[in-house]
Amino acid sequence: MRRKASLILLALAVFFTALSPLLRWYAFPRLAKIPANQYQDMVLEAKNATLLDYGTMQAKTVPKVTIVQTLKGDVDAAKKIDKTAGRDVVVWDGLSYVQGPDGKMVSSIPERYIFDAHTQDPVHATGEMVDGDPVKRDGIEFKWPFLTQKRDYEYFDAQTRTTNPIHYKGTENFRGVKVYYFEQTIPWTKVPFPKTMPVKGITPESVAKTGTTRWYTTVRKFWVEPVTGAPVYGEELHKEELRGGTLLGDRAKVTAFAGDVKMREDYIKHTVALVKSNRTLVLLMVSYLPWGFLTLGLLLLALSLYLEARSRRPGDPAPTEVQEPEPVTA
Amino acid sequence: MRALIAATTGLVLAFALVLTITAMGSPMGKTSPKPLLTTVPAHP
Repeated sequence: MRRKASLILLALAVFFTALSPLLRWYAFPRLAKIPANQYQDMVLEAKNATLLDYGTMQAKTVPKVTIVQTLKGDVDAAKKIDKTAGRDVVVWDGLSYVQGPDGKMVSSIPERYIFDAHTQDPVHATGEMVDGDPVKRDGIEFKWPFLTQKRDYEYFDAQTRTTNPIHYKGTENFRGVKVYYFEQTIPWTKVPFPKTMPVKGITPESVAKTGTTRWYTTVRKFWVEPVTGAPVYGEELHKEELRGGTLLGDRAKVTAFAGDVKMREDYIKHTVALVKSNRTLVLLMVSYLPWGFLTLGLLLLALSLYLEARSRRPGDPAPTEVQEPEPVTA
Repeated sequence: MRALIAATTGLVLAFALVLTITAMGSPMGKTSPKPLLTTVPAHP
């Protein structure tokens, strides 16, 4: 009986011990992914910002500019690209809608971001764009990969349509969550006018005819929870200028927007709570379960060996063997 | 010999379980009917 029990325990010990690395290094990279149907919104605010009044072409200080950012996964598009790319893909349709203090639209920039659901590596397919312009991302955007490392990443900037390094600057604690702080500076760069302008009748083409150009610089800051790769907080020191051309009269440049853009407080709380919950799920697969299974496997192995040893103790009656009678010689 | 068979059984079952779970994957679901926002939401 002990013999049988020790064999069952041995099978279970091997089962749980083998499950530990299989779960961490085989199952986790295949199971952990961004859902294709994800939908999320985010509100950011720039208080006491500078905003251009397109009626008077004068920059003025306004109490608040609000940016509403929505990301919506297009499942049908993801399925189509899955087949050609041969991997799990997420297609995010995004909209950055900027609203002035009077509630009127300042700018509205759509984009389509296609990436690998597991690694967040960009995937290139028809439809990848920013504000209608085809783009080719060579880095991440919005989210870092699962198990983010303490290193620089390539990050896509939608305004300049370029990919540049975003630097790891250190580990911090943000509202009880361990986070990696990343920072990227985009120097003054000439960028296209948004396709949707705040004043009716003004189009990017009509502005281009005046010779006026749009320039932009930003310092982008992200505090990223490393297990999930999700930013729990973000800030941008964002500046835009119009330069040259007849639109500005005798002025060389005018500020179109300047402000310190920060996540709204209720969205920070919501994001921190969401990331904490998702972090537990990821840790379950990369840490809690693998270590738990390994410990359980070793305990079961020890128990199995103990039972086996007891079954072989010399004090115990030896199992009786049926002996065949020896032939008797006459 | 019986110990070897028991250990192999455990190993095969572990592989079978993990391969089955990863092969099943997770459903993709459907695209959310919610629109891309052009108004400021009151709360998350």
